[in-house]
Amino acid sequence: MAISRRAFGIGMLAASAAGTGGYVYLRQHPEIAGRFGEPKRLFGFAGGEKEGLLANARVRSLLERRFGLILDARRAGSVEMVRERTLLDQKPQFLWPSSSVLVEVARNSGVKISRDQVIFNSPIVLYSWDRIADGLVKGGFAEPAGGPRYTVDLLRVLKAVIAGETWEAMGVSGLFGRARIVSTDPNKSNSGFMFAGLTASLLSGDVIALDSLGRIDGDVATVFRRMGYKPPSSGKLFDDYVAGGAGAQPLIVGYENQLIEWVLQDADRWKRVEASAPSKPVILYPRPTAFSAHPLISIDRAADELIDALVNESLLELAWEEHGFRGPLGTVGKARNPLLQSRLIERIDAVLPMPDAPVMLALLDRLATA
Amino acid sequence: MNKAALRVAAGLLLALALGACSAPGPQFTILSGSENDVLEPMVREFCRSRRADCSVKYQGSLDIALALKAGNDPGADAVWPAASIWIDMFDTARRVKSVKSIAQMPVILGVKRSKAQALGWVGAKVTTKDILAAVEGGRLKFLMTSATQSNSGASAYLAMLAAGIGKPDLIESGDLDKPEVLATVRGLLRGVERSSGSSGWLADLYREGERTGARYEAMWNYEAVIKETNDKLIADKKEPLYAIYPEDGVSVGDSPLGFVDRGRGKEVESFFADLQAFLLKGDTQARIAATGRRVELGRAAPIKADPATNLDPSRALTVVRPPEPAVIQKALSLYQEALRRPSLTALCIDVSGSMKGHGEEQLLEAMRFLLTPVRTREVLVQWSKQDRIIVLPFSDRVLWTAAGSGDDNDQTAILTKTLELRARDGTDFYTCGARALAEMKPVLDAGQHLPAIVIMTDGKSQGAMTTFEAAWRADGRRVPVFGVTFGDDADRSQLDSLATLTGGRVFDGTKSLTQAFRAVRGYN
Repeated sequence: MAISRRAFGIGMLAASAAGTGGYVYLRQHPEIAGRFGEPKRLFGFAGGEKEGLLANARVRSLLERRFGLILDARRAGSVEMVRERTLLDQKPQFLWPSSSVLVEVARNSGVKISRDQVIFNSPIVLYSWDRIADGLVKGGFAEPAGGPRYTVDLLRVLKAVIAGETWEAMGVSGLFGRARIVSTDPNKSNSGFMFAGLTASLLSGDVIALDSLGRIDGDVATVFRRMGYKPPSSGKLFDDYVAGGAGAQPLIVGYENQLIEWVLQDADRWKRVEASAPSKPVILYPRPTAFSAHPLISIDRAADELIDALVNESLLELAWEEHGFRGPLGTVGKARNPLLQSRLIERIDAVLPMPDAPVMLALLDRLATA
Repeated sequence: MNKAALRVAAGLLLALALGACSAPGPQFTILSGSENDVLEPMVREFCRSRRADCSVKYQGSLDIALALKAGNDPGADAVWPAASIWIDMFDTARRVKSVKSIAQMPVILGVKRSKAQALGWVGAKVTTKDILAAVEGGRLKFLMTSATQSNSGASAYLAMLAAGIGKPDLIESGDLDKPEVLATVRGLLRGVERSSGSSGWLADLYREGERTGARYEAMWNYEAVIKETNDKLIADKKEPLYAIYPEDGVSVGDSPLGFVDRGRGKEVESFFADLQAFLLKGDTQARIAATGRRVELGRAAPIKADPATNLDPSRALTVVRPPEPAVIQKALSLYQEALRRPSLTALCIDVSGSMKGHGEEQLLEAMRFLLTPVRTREVLVQWSKQDRIIVLPFSDRVLWTAAGSGDDNDQTAILTKTLELRARDGTDFYTCGARALAEMKPVLDAGQHLPAIVIMTDGKSQGAMTTFEAAWRADGRRVPVFGVTFGDDADRSQLDSLATLTGGRVFDGTKSLTQAFRAVRGYN
């Protein structure tokens, strides 16, 4: 059907008026602001372990469409983002490190905090391989927890490492030399930082305080010295673990969500690994462990609403379902992925709080010269 | 709107979309270890699909890392060394981003099968300590890249050092201060017959040895490079290498490809991301695995084991943990200054008339760099007191000779004399080469030094190649000749013939002096 020029002109005009009215209305209601709203741009730093989440199109779209927020989040080490002047001088509006202690460290660095709140939690775990985990069970260091998942008596393992025990003596055959657990560099990256805190507390028998640090810091230094080279980021260490296999990376420190994210990235690859790999990745949950909380630090008031957006239920569910982050209280979301069902422990009861900031900073200095 | 108009509009849209897809890609440079040259066709294939102008420059992993030091310009958009530890150690400004491992490459010892048989290693479990014992007993010599330039040499050296200490699983700080350890490793490095600056070039050197009759016995290199070398040796009906995987642990290079942020914008960065994704996708990973490389769990299946050569990329390995960066730095300085097999280097320097002007300036600047310890130390090519240096300036004849050790005072004395030279007369580097052999003979006969003749010239020589060739053959064909070219219209053809004859190489000194010399020093 042909359309007359006049009718076409009137149509255009009506559409334009409706568009203008709609645009004004939508701008005042960011929760239903679609493509026409004016989203707010926020710049800040986030730990590398959240890079996948922040790049996720569904997450970005939810933040923009429902909350009117677009994030320019640059990757930085959790420890360095709250201490390094070169980063802080760039005037970030928010920081998103991966440990609650770092909120305190940020305050000590002179960061003026408008608001802070824990968004996710992810337990610190040990990653290993089924045959190595079975060896540790045989040696009395670990226990199976139904399915290819384990709990591990971290203090016993640490004592064996400090004593220079061989893998063989610990029940793990086929690995040459002395046992070691490898983490990231605690002066750069949060998983190494938290593992240092956890190690110090376990060795002292309680959450470590400044006055008892001198008693055990030599042993903590031994654990870290025995690691040899320590990668600068958790993501890199996990990549090395997966790429290197059991002979290269028998036992490393990571976040629980890293395996979940890796599996979800490529489900077919995971099925191939489950079916045919000579050794398969497993999680050993330390008893006790520490929770890596991911507190969002809002520096500029404008970033306060980012906290409300992130603790929204649909976002938390997405973070669990696609990236393996537990919610603010350490509980898992609704989704149950059959690929991972038997590898995760849902309830984690034995949790140690992290030592406070002055203790951690003193420990970091000690480890820097270990 | 009628259907015809719709079709026209759709056609227009499609044309626009296709036009957007086929816009030419960026000019893109990768700085890579020479062991990756077998993967270059895959990189080229991707670049062609994007109509991008890609170039791959090859260097040793430590050279790549040094180019990343703050204040240096790596002159590349991506780096692809053999192991990420070097990026972490030297890229303090954190300019390298999005690093991902493309393959896993264990460093092993390939031993000529008949030699392995004689040593009783075929089908046996061999440790680094056994290798040490064979070297110390004079029963084994090997090729190994320079530990201060290339990851495979550094890895082999660190593994031998760890075995020497009796702590093969990890060297810790303090371990390097014991004098008996240094004695052990000094003995071990006596096993180094020839060296080079990067692993792919070392493999070339091994095969050239088969061709020229030098006949080397073994080489430390990546499992995949040993496989490539064997494929070529078998095709040439030569004896292959038998793979020795030391039981007490091997080092593994993770072949990281990372983006160098030089502020060239989003287009270049996203081109890099796509290239990396292309190299990591299943089909490409399967092709990479077919070269004998190990790839990440579940990405592709490794090639089958070969009982004849003992190569088996699916074999589980105990992996040596790299030590702390501070320990590595100390170990490398020790290698360069105390442990490295000392070198005997004759420098034939061209001061003929054709070098006048720019060539002469470049040459004297080269000598200033080469004989100033504070400058050579910066890029790990310093001389040690055990090294022997002979300088022979030449035109149509050798003007004089000056010899000394790597001692600072000796270097100063030779440099002072050299800086008085001025270019004139004709050119004959063949005579200079023959004279160099005569000067080297006493030290050469003692058998403790790694020899090399380095000819620094604009490349155009009178005289005859036979002058040198006869002397070289009479001397037992022991000394490789390297060329470094200078001047505005350098010609390398005559130098190439000398290098091919003797198992040396020719480097361009006009672009980067330090790189040319690091390359030469990699071989001696």
